Amino acid sequence: MKQLLKTLTDTFSPSGYEDEIRKVILKEVKPLADEVRVDALGNLIARKKPAKGTKDAKKIMIAAHMDEIGVMVTHVDGNGFVRFTNIGGVYPRNLPGGHVRFANGVSGVIGLEPTTSATDVPPLNKMFIDVGADSKKNCPVKTGDVGSFERTFIDLGDKLVAKSMDDRIGCLVAIEALRALKSTPHDVYFVFTTQEEVGTRGAETSAYGIDPDLGFSIDVTGWGDTPGQKDFDVALGKGPAIKIRDGGMLADPRVVQWMVRTAEKAKVPYQREVLLGGTTDARAMQLVRGGVPVGCISIPCRYVHTPSEMVDYNDVKNAVKLIGVMLSNPVNLQLIVTL
Amino acid sequence: MTDILPFLKSLLSVSGLSGHEAPVATLIEQKWTPLVDEISRSRLGSIHGLKKGSVSGKATRPSVLISTHMDAIGLMVTRIVDGFIYITAIGGIDSRILPGTPVIVHASKTNEELYGVIMIPPSDLLPESAGTGALALKYLMVDTGLAAGEVSKRVSIGDLVSFNTEPVEMTGGCVSGHTLDNRASVAALTICLEELQSKSHLWDVWAVSSIQEEETLGGAKTSAFQLRPTIAVAMDVTFGKGTGVQGWEGQELGKGPALGIGPVIHPFLHNRFKEVAEKAEIPFAVEPMPARSSTDGDALQLTAEGIPTMVLSIPLRYMHTPVEVVALKDIQRAGRLLAEFIASLEADFMTKIAWD
Repeated sequence: MKQLLKTLTDTFSPSGYEDEIRKVILKEVKPLADEVRVDALGNLIARKKPAKGTKDAKKIMIAAHMDEIGVMVTHVDGNGFVRFTNIGGVYPRNLPGGHVRFANGVSGVIGLEPTTSATDVPPLNKMFIDVGADSKKNCPVKTGDVGSFERTFIDLGDKLVAKSMDDRIGCLVAIEALRALKSTPHDVYFVFTTQEEVGTRGAETSAYGIDPDLGFSIDVTGWGDTPGQKDFDVALGKGPAIKIRDGGMLADPRVVQWMVRTAEKAKVPYQREVLLGGTTDARAMQLVRGGVPVGCISIPCRYVHTPSEMVDYNDVKNAVKLIGVMLSNPVNLQLIVTL
Repeated sequence: MTDILPFLKSLLSVSGLSGHEAPVATLIEQKWTPLVDEISRSRLGSIHGLKKGSVSGKATRPSVLISTHMDAIGLMVTRIVDGFIYITAIGGIDSRILPGTPVIVHASKTNEELYGVIMIPPSDLLPESAGTGALALKYLMVDTGLAAGEVSKRVSIGDLVSFNTEPVEMTGGCVSGHTLDNRASVAALTICLEELQSKSHLWDVWAVSSIQEEETLGGAKTSAFQLRPTIAVAMDVTFGKGTGVQGWEGQELGKGPALGIGPVIHPFLHNRFKEVAEKAEIPFAVEPMPARSSTDGDALQLTAEGIPTMVLSIPLRYMHTPVEVVALKDIQRAGRLLAEFIASLEADFMTKIAWD
């Protein structure tokens, strides 16, 4: 599982340019699924059909996004310095000194224009990527090229660090849950979505196409367990987080109850998550067509949207286990009136 | 006309925060069931009441969807420290009004309601960055009076916290309380349904109480997609004139509902409301909405191929506080106007509102 995670996180695929990661995931899920297809926005959909003889199987959609944040070249100046803008949530303070890799294999480093104080962080338009060129003519990248941040995968034992852990860790959990799912009473659609980082776009169209009865996303969430980080009660290693709400979605209380009860029955550790900012593919899924009851299973992740995102391997394994139990048993969403 | 006050008060006595509307939905469903021909819930929990129209000889009747959101703003537990409960907002909450507010903590572990108050920590215990003005929400806590261990036994992260202030009948025909946004409109739609019992109408009426307006407009969006009405009306509250709200952004309390006008609103629907109000001698105001309406109307208009939409508003002061104020007669008038509008819809109304 760690080797596959390394492959997944090493792969280059900013939002809208998911070709490479789709190939990697397709190779994994093809032998595991009953049916695999790619839709118009590039979402990879792996379907596991209900066991023979199952009546009234529910369509369950599980979304893990395969895109990552990155950069796009806005222009190259006369001296070959590459100016760029963000694809998704790129924060200037995480960039100085970083490495960027472009789709054509070219690498570069991020440099800054001088600031009045040595500790200031300039905005993105005062930064540039130095690819070693000395003129516009011999610069190997051009306007519109996309790049991703480069950082080596590190295995620290329980803790694992890589770029694009958001959300390749969700992709890993989905692949492993599919691998472990021998038989299900549901009609399960694992969707590896595109363009989440630029507005949960792949999830919106794939959910419209699948028209699920219920669903959830698998994504990273924040952390509250490093120095000075205290307004968020989620820690690495205490189990996957069951989302109650985030900045853009109120999880369906019936889906939350399904997740909590399953975790307690299967003795899988879990945390309850109330995230104040950000959202996931579940937001888009909830509001398609006539509406879909949704939730989200989160992998706690430190340093989200930096090139060194850290997760705990035990949380990953427990997420796979929890999803496996959820999908192996019948589900009956019950309206909770008392809350 | 029946007295709507008891029903309105009952609506204000239950919670039903965004995403968790079940308690208030039950009340509304009970009230509407005898007033409509069919009633059901959407997959997300919005209420769909269908009152059939009397156009005959056609397979499908045109329909008008009226959306009144039933969800309430409120609070949610983010963490528990030494028995004190930290909170975040559901919907738009101005933290300036919170200290001293009585609340109910809906404790999920024991399924009980805990009474609490929102307290304000002494300034010497706060970091310097908290400043000296109104405190940000992240510094405020709920005190339930229970010992630390007792709180943890009952309350979980993600539990709901709702306002616990009783509605007040004020002199001059006004009512004050929390969640008049938008249960005042639910009450007005109920009046409309009562009026329609003795009024013939050709069109089908979808009476909708939508979920999650305060967060995503998700109830209106999904119900409109499912029901595909011919036209839609969002009924919500709007800013009432008063201290600090004196310009065109505010509407007078007690001077009738406000008819929205702007890009979200289909001008022919606006004009029809105006004609009907003048004919029935119902006072009204015109409310400019130069951009979005910040109501369910924004979602209704953009559903599927697009739906001609109208926004009808009840003026309300102190929006999103536990002491919102509305004039009862504006609720009555909004309900009556809506019923008159529905009754006025001819079988071929849509051919009249086509763009040139």
